[in-house]
Amino acid sequence: MSIVFEDLVYRLNEHTTAEGTSFDAVMNDNGVLEIVCSNNDEFSIHMVQTDTQLLTVTPLFHVSEVKPDMIDELNAQLLHLSPAMPLSSAGIQGEQYILFGAMALNTYFENIVHELEVQAENTLELLEAVSPLLN
Amino acid sequence: MGILGNIVKAFKGGASEVGEAIVDANAVRILEQEIREADQAIHKAKQSLTQLKATEIKLKREVSSLAQDIADYEAKAIQALEQGKEDLAREVAERIADIEAEHNDKAAEFSTLKDEVSGINNMIRKREQVIQKNKRELDKIKTVEQLQKTTAKMSTNFAATGNSQHRVSDALDRVKAKQQNWRDKVEAGQWMEEQASGSDLDNKLKAEGIGETSSGADDILARLKAKK
Repeated sequence: MSIVFEDLVYRLNEHTTAEGTSFDAVMNDNGVLEIVCSNNDEFSIHMVQTDTQLLTVTPLFHVSEVKPDMIDELNAQLLHLSPAMPLSSAGIQGEQYILFGAMALNTYFENIVHELEVQAENTLELLEAVSPLLN
Repeated sequence: MGILGNIVKAFKGGASEVGEAIVDANAVRILEQEIREADQAIHKAKQSLTQLKATEIKLKREVSSLAQDIADYEAKAIQALEQGKEDLAREVAERIADIEAEHNDKAAEFSTLKDEVSGINNMIRKREQVIQKNKRELDKIKTVEQLQKTTAKMSTNFAATGNSQHRVSDALDRVKAKQQNWRDKVEAGQWMEEQASGSDLDNKLKAEGIGETSSGADDILARLKAKK
């Protein structure tokens, strides 16, 4: 079972949530669905899928953007913040800090939209909380 | 070692280019091959299981039919004995002995077959466990591969632009400015609405005939009636 990204692109671009969030979704060349939520148009969400799950990833910042000697403090803060964020978790992918969520492939469209909206909000809140540790 | 172990190993090794090193293409091939083989073995086992099960059911029926025959002949032998027909009873007893021998053979065959069937069932379960385990491992590998795709473009962009100071806080400021702008618009919209409802008040007053003289049809009719 898989979600057809082309369908999702179409539906996302047509949709507006109760809170007034709309979406700009485009398919990248490498099969990644890039989504910009209107409640946070600076940090786009990158969506991919495996055989069992749908992953939503927001690249936050590069390791080199963290103030020198603040990496440990930042990592500790992220570990504390992660469980408090609804639906999203913080992590590192390569040298990139990310915020991510995972959903089952049979997730309803409304729930996917909700996850995206919440992740876009979480991104702002998280970045605001840790921004003193960034360059 | 599983993919999670590889991630830790790559991290401990100080690998900055985590990626290729983690996902071992050879390991993926092996996992996929194991899944395929287990699938084929299960398919074959299920085919032979169907035949064996049919034989098992047939044997079970035969065993119980023979047991019934034994019981019948025993009753008849007792009857013959009761009637003092010892020779006839002996003949029946000999028949019972034959049937019992056949019954025991079939019962032994049935029991062997039953063990074989449960052995094959166990094998299928074990193969299915292998498939599930490998599929989970493959899914982890695919997750890592997909995750790498989501940040690949970002890292390339980053490498191209270099370390930009205040990138995150600048972006946050822009989002905040936009949100403020949006809130201002909402407020302006509310103000407009209030203005519109203000002119509604004029309409209401007019409807009540306050501050406005109007010559409606009723007024004209009243005037005409007065002239009569």
